[in-house]
Amino acid sequence: MSQYKIIFTGPVGAGKTTAINSISDVPPVKTDASASDMTKSRKSSTTVAMDYGIMNLADGEKLHLYGTPGQERFDFMWDILVTGGIGLVLLLDNTRADPFQDMRFFLDAFDKFIVDTTVAIGITQMDLSSKPTIEDYHIQLREMGLKPPVFAVDARVKSDVSLLVQALLYSLDPGLEG
Amino acid sequence: MDKTKRPLKVALHGMDGRSYKMMSMYLQGPCKGLAVVVDQGNEDIDIFDLDGVNGEALITAHLEKQTQKPAIVLSLHERMIENVLMVKKPVKIDDMLAALSKAKALLDKPATPIKRQDAVVGDKGNDNLDTQAVAKKADQVDEKPVLKKFVLNTDEQKKTSKHQAAMQLDEKGFGAFIGNVPGIDVNDPKQFARASYNTKEYFQGYVESAYKICHSKGQVRQLNSGWNPLIIFPHSQEIWLDVDENQLRSFSGLSINATLGSKMSITPLSQDSSTADRKLERFQSMDAFLWKIACWASKGRYPASIDISQPVYLKHWPNFTRILVTPHALRISALLIQGPRTLANVAEVLNIKPQYVFVFISAACALGLAGQVKREADVLVQSPEIKPNKNQGLLGRILSTLRGKKA
Repeated sequence: MSQYKIIFTGPVGAGKTTAINSISDVPPVKTDASASDMTKSRKSSTTVAMDYGIMNLADGEKLHLYGTPGQERFDFMWDILVTGGIGLVLLLDNTRADPFQDMRFFLDAFDKFIVDTTVAIGITQMDLSSKPTIEDYHIQLREMGLKPPVFAVDARVKSDVSLLVQALLYSLDPGLEG
Repeated sequence: MDKTKRPLKVALHGMDGRSYKMMSMYLQGPCKGLAVVVDQGNEDIDIFDLDGVNGEALITAHLEKQTQKPAIVLSLHERMIENVLMVKKPVKIDDMLAALSKAKALLDKPATPIKRQDAVVGDKGNDNLDTQAVAKKADQVDEKPVLKKFVLNTDEQKKTSKHQAAMQLDEKGFGAFIGNVPGIDVNDPKQFARASYNTKEYFQGYVESAYKICHSKGQVRQLNSGWNPLIIFPHSQEIWLDVDENQLRSFSGLSINATLGSKMSITPLSQDSSTADRKLERFQSMDAFLWKIACWASKGRYPASIDISQPVYLKHWPNFTRILVTPHALRISALLIQGPRTLANVAEVLNIKPQYVFVFISAACALGLAGQVKREADVLVQSPEIKPNKNQGLLGRILSTLRGKKA
């Protein structure tokens, strides 16, 4: 049976684990480790291997949701992860020092996969940092010759994550009727 | 200013961007604003993360300086370091508040010579770093990319209308929420020529015009309509309007040019009134506000500025998580982003009623995201056929599942 999957990627803390949790039908399998961080009350752990969730589809099929480890030392796993993937969801934390650099890094790292499939970008933490704006991201993307969906996303909110994934699917085929 | 109430100015050391942000939030939130993060050089006290980047080297360098400034050191492990205030991780609010209070008391004390630090007791035996090596390490830290200075704006989080998830409208709810125009069937191709509306006759037109003025003047301005005033903040891309949403919907759907046109005016706001306290939940993003009033003015029609026989383009995807999602809007965007098409062609290819395309184009044009193709070459190029994805069945099932999962 085919393994259908959507890959969630992005830097540490962008909300990949939370986003998968928002739309998964089963509690995500986490492979987190304790973060050596002074504010454990806010983010007590970080993903060192990968997150995994499942969406059960109507006919008994399953869609697998994989989150890449945010830490770059695990990037050797990315190629393995994307095999058989139907699309990429890139989450970017707007409070990071240089979110455009993050965006370029991940788009570059997954460029072949994006060419073969498609990408949708979610910008998280915009309520904490409103700059850069969504328009600023589009300007950067235009320079890269890309026109993907870019939405402000609260990874905790199911409808935000759902809309982003829907946009990813319609980018693959606007003729789809859900 | 009451010096006793002034927050302690704190410089953070050895923290990456995320830790820096978290600590800024932590001080402003749980620590009740007792301390505020400032740029290095302007601080009253220093906070070091001993487990962070070059934490050991930074604290050693700090102690070598024999500064009078109090320092708080955060560490995962129990440590004994003289002349610093230790706080063990995970940081507890009470511990942090106690450390800040002690630091403040030390600051208020008359200056006394601080005895030289013997060493930082380290786990890895790197206690005896010489000053030169420490300085070199500190320099290396300085060479790191400048961290984004994060200032938590708690007011921003209270602007709930601005950050809440968008309303998603399906076909069933369209008529009741968007409305329709009596005496015309906008979905009948024979009546397409009559299915347009002049945006300038509606509240939409006045708001668009007011936005342009505010942006060009760079001023906060108020749009007076004889109804509740609309205040426009061009720098933060926000509007403020204290009205019931149902009233706004009705008002936006009225052709007001003949009746209220003479009462419409836009006036600059004085500094006092533009910074006055307002209900934060009444702030909305300029785009989301204009998008929805354009939908309500449209009622399933297209703007008169669009030639129905010519293709339109979509510059980029709208930010659908924060605007009203009209029926099939995502599909329309996905199709138009591939290349320009006429409105009728979009409806035909997607097999949807033209009113859904018209209302989308009205809102997208209002935001400047869509427009008429002007180059003759673009008109002549035939729109590419959409090829069904090889996994169409699967993708459709995923969509159905997602739709059933609406929060």
